[in-house]
Amino acid sequence: MMEETRILLAHGNGGRLTRELVENVFAVHLANPQLDVGLDAVTLPVAQARIVVTTDGFTVRPLEFPGGDIGALAVHGTVNDLAVAGARPIYMTLNAFIEEGMELAQLQRIAASMGRAAREAEVRVVAGDTKVVPRGEGGGLYLACTGIGERIGTRVPAMERIRDGDVMLVSGPVGDHGIAVLLAREDFGLSGELRSDSASVLPVVEALLQIPGLRFMRDPTRGGLATVANEIARGTGLSAVLEEASIPVRDAVRAVCDMLGYDPLYLACEGRVVAVVAQEDAQAALAACLRLPQGREAALIGRLAPGLAQVTLRTPLGGERMIEELEEDPLPRIC
Amino acid sequence: MKRDAMPAEFAARTWIVGGRVQGVGFRPFVYRLAVAASLCGYVRNRLGQVEIVAQGTQGALDRFAAALLREAPPLARPVIVEVGDCAPGDRTDFRILASDGGAAPSIHLPPDRFCCDDCLRELADRNDRRYRYPFINCTQCGPRYTLISRLPYDRASTSMAGFELCRACRAEYEDPASRRFHAEPLACPACGPALALQVPGHGPLAGNEVALAACVRFLRDGGIVAVKGVGGYHLMVDARNEDAVQRLRQRKHRPHKPLAVMLAHDESTWRREIACDASLEAALRDPARPIVLAPRAAACTFAASVAPQLAEVGVMLAYAPLHHLLLADFGGPLVATSANVSGEPVLTDNREVESRLAAVADAFLHHDRPILRPADDTVVRMIAGRPRPIRIGRGFAPLEMALPQRLSRPTLAVGGHMKNTVALGWESRAVLSPHIGDFCSPRTLAVFERAVSELQALYGVQAKAVAHDTHPGYASTRWARTSGLATVAVPHHRAHASALFAERLGSGHWLVFTWDGVGLGEDGTLWGGEALLGAPGNWRRVATMRPFSLPGGEKAGREPWRSAAALCWETGAQWQADAIVQQAWHKGVNCARTSAVGRLFDAAAAMTGLISSASHEGHAPMLLEAAAVTGAQALSLPLARNANGLWETDWSPLVGLLRDSQQGVPERAGIFHATLARALLDQARAVRAEHGFTVVGLTGGVFQNRLLSERAAALLAGDGFEVALAERVPCNDGGLAFGQLVEAAA
Repeated sequence: MMEETRILLAHGNGGRLTRELVENVFAVHLANPQLDVGLDAVTLPVAQARIVVTTDGFTVRPLEFPGGDIGALAVHGTVNDLAVAGARPIYMTLNAFIEEGMELAQLQRIAASMGRAAREAEVRVVAGDTKVVPRGEGGGLYLACTGIGERIGTRVPAMERIRDGDVMLVSGPVGDHGIAVLLAREDFGLSGELRSDSASVLPVVEALLQIPGLRFMRDPTRGGLATVANEIARGTGLSAVLEEASIPVRDAVRAVCDMLGYDPLYLACEGRVVAVVAQEDAQAALAACLRLPQGREAALIGRLAPGLAQVTLRTPLGGERMIEELEEDPLPRIC
Repeated sequence: MKRDAMPAEFAARTWIVGGRVQGVGFRPFVYRLAVAASLCGYVRNRLGQVEIVAQGTQGALDRFAAALLREAPPLARPVIVEVGDCAPGDRTDFRILASDGGAAPSIHLPPDRFCCDDCLRELADRNDRRYRYPFINCTQCGPRYTLISRLPYDRASTSMAGFELCRACRAEYEDPASRRFHAEPLACPACGPALALQVPGHGPLAGNEVALAACVRFLRDGGIVAVKGVGGYHLMVDARNEDAVQRLRQRKHRPHKPLAVMLAHDESTWRREIACDASLEAALRDPARPIVLAPRAAACTFAASVAPQLAEVGVMLAYAPLHHLLLADFGGPLVATSANVSGEPVLTDNREVESRLAAVADAFLHHDRPILRPADDTVVRMIAGRPRPIRIGRGFAPLEMALPQRLSRPTLAVGGHMKNTVALGWESRAVLSPHIGDFCSPRTLAVFERAVSELQALYGVQAKAVAHDTHPGYASTRWARTSGLATVAVPHHRAHASALFAERLGSGHWLVFTWDGVGLGEDGTLWGGEALLGAPGNWRRVATMRPFSLPGGEKAGREPWRSAAALCWETGAQWQADAIVQQAWHKGVNCARTSAVGRLFDAAAAMTGLISSASHEGHAPMLLEAAAVTGAQALSLPLARNANGLWETDWSPLVGLLRDSQQGVPERAGIFHATLARALLDQARAVRAEHGFTVVGLTGGVFQNRLLSERAAALLAGDGFEVALAERVPCNDGGLAFGQLVEAAA
């Protein structure tokens, strides 16, 4: 058994402590028929040849926040990248970079959360590695994951399919994750009402894939809805016109954004899908989302129009605002 | 000696005249001047300049030479490039010769011009064939910049190309003795543009008199009419009808920002409305016919909501013939505000205005002369006895400026983010565009891009480099970085300082106070309380304001209470605000460090209870200035060197004063202004003790404030400094593009 309460550098030396760490933490929570912690590589049965692969790294402060933690986030982030590419996740790998001094109890919680998220998303962690970095050289815990999925059906949603006149949909309120993490990180003490939306979007994606007019999907993570809209505009050369009044934002999120001076359109979501759908199928796509618990607050938020590869937000008062790419360090421009 | 020996009758001279002499009636003017002086010879265009050969008596030639500049047409800006004697020939008359061919390297694009007195007389003359014709013009007046599609300037290159001249007009057009000789926008009721009133849901009411009468009926009934003018549409409404003005504000979602009022040309009427001294009157009558911010007269009849809570109101005289007719028929002042969606460029297209302002205007008074490029009305404010530009536009721009140093390559300057203008520079010339708008909407970007390409096309200059602000988030900076041109990043406040220095033809070293809202500083914080010492290309920050953290990012610009909270918290004082904001401020979450004086004004306006949230840029400082008493006693603010060796003024004594409800708001506002002026003088003195300079420049948007500018200027002058204030290029961000060119050339 492990007696230490904190991670030591020796947990990363490949010896007993390393083995115990893997066996007593990761193997416990991530157990599945394909996971053999004693092997360096794993052989996987794959039914089809249409394999989809993704890889992603996860860093978040704090490691645990209302509505999630880095473990669940790593699973959801990996699963969602596969899902919006039109794939059903099957397997994933895990690399954990643990900072010396991390509390083992916290690592246990995070690993447990990760296991739950993986079971819910029906994805198996099949390979992994742990490293310990010296104190001060890591943000507590970094995770890196590779996801393997199989294509759902034969239609591949892609940017090239987008046409002038198509409609944009978002599967739920935006900005929840960004605000929840920000409030938790800075310890504002009122984070209780605001929770991350960290979740698998697979159910929503599966519903949307049934819609014949589905063109494209993406999960608005870093940079938020505004960034996805800019990617679409840039990728298609079309103008994305968003209707401010139609974009779902929780009142609590809006209130915090107003106070702190953030724009919810630029805040990360971890359980939402932005989809582009042919105009004639827009209502069907919306209805398909609304039927699901994850899509109850979905909305049609704008359309693609001929234009200059830019994103325009139409305000309720009839004004128009350009929504530009996120700057690394947004500074006030208005005097 | 030689001249005395020669018979005076046979003297002959030549002149080459450059500057703005194309499209302004300069050759017909020379012709008439020469004929009146009984001179023989000719005048012709040559490579964009004008060549004159004249012979006659010495006295006549001298009088002619003197009148050539002194009596030049108002639109012209002639410069004598060369003058010399030549041999008298056997000339028997004076002629306007055909242009000497060849490229015209020295192009000057004329601005639009108010209806001249001669045309006004004809407009009112029942026997004139242009009686009440809304598009009357001649070589001395009418649209230019807004209807020229390309140069050289002739009728086929204007938006009048589609109107074929009738016989009578053609005869005037071809008669060198007529003041309509080659008046390119020449028109009359038989062959020119016409009005049509469009009421949504009804057919158009066509015909000048029918449309005008219907428009006046709408206005009398309190209706809002979009009226197509010279550089765009105005939204017009009865300026005396409170309900109507309120309705316009509601529909335009513009609750407070002052609205301009257009007044009839008749002096007796406007003297009743505004308190007008000689300098203000001269500003009103300036050829640009600008909007002038003027104090209301005691008997002013304008609705209060024209400029709520402000002592001044923006007024302009009717300038286009259409406006003269409209105001005369209506019989009172009319609100005439740019027809646009807030902050966007003014609308110019018949269809676009109908679709975009469908929810604002009750009717649209169109005409069929296309406006090729927008030009908003110019706005000036009287400060220290002279009109200072707040916004340059119709009649004023394109603004020709000289650069103190030559550019090594043609360069475009793309200005700032708000109040954007663009400038094109080549060699020692710079041309500044009219006001384009705030860079928030896609339409601003579209108009900006057109202005950029048209400036280059009109002047035949292809930019090889682009100068831009260092702020990465400005739409103009983003555009510059993707333009494919070589980029020159110019720090915000250097551009401000250089614009003023070059405009006032500075030399040696100046101390320039660049006080504004916020601009990106060279240390990554937001500057706006800086004093720069030096000259273009060589500015050094020598003084600043105590910096503070501004909570809420860009929101702070719209919510003056945030600046108030910041100053209070910075000094350990209380300010009631949502706990989360104070926490964010403590933790530095989305809080930029700034030294901007514009934010001190915001804070002062909020602390005195005048305002909490602003509905437009400059809202809080305008209220604070309007509320302030003049001649208040200044507080003394501590001035000391900071860790970086800069002189730094500590504003903290103001916090207690501003929140002291024992004193009235006007007193507190007055003391605030006086104190900042005093702090400015203290900084100038401290810097003078170490460096030699005599000129102190005041620029940046803060110096649109008259109370502060005049007080600071008086203190500086009293202490032996020479004070420089902008007269042609706006001190706000509208002047950045010019300053960027000056810096690029330095």
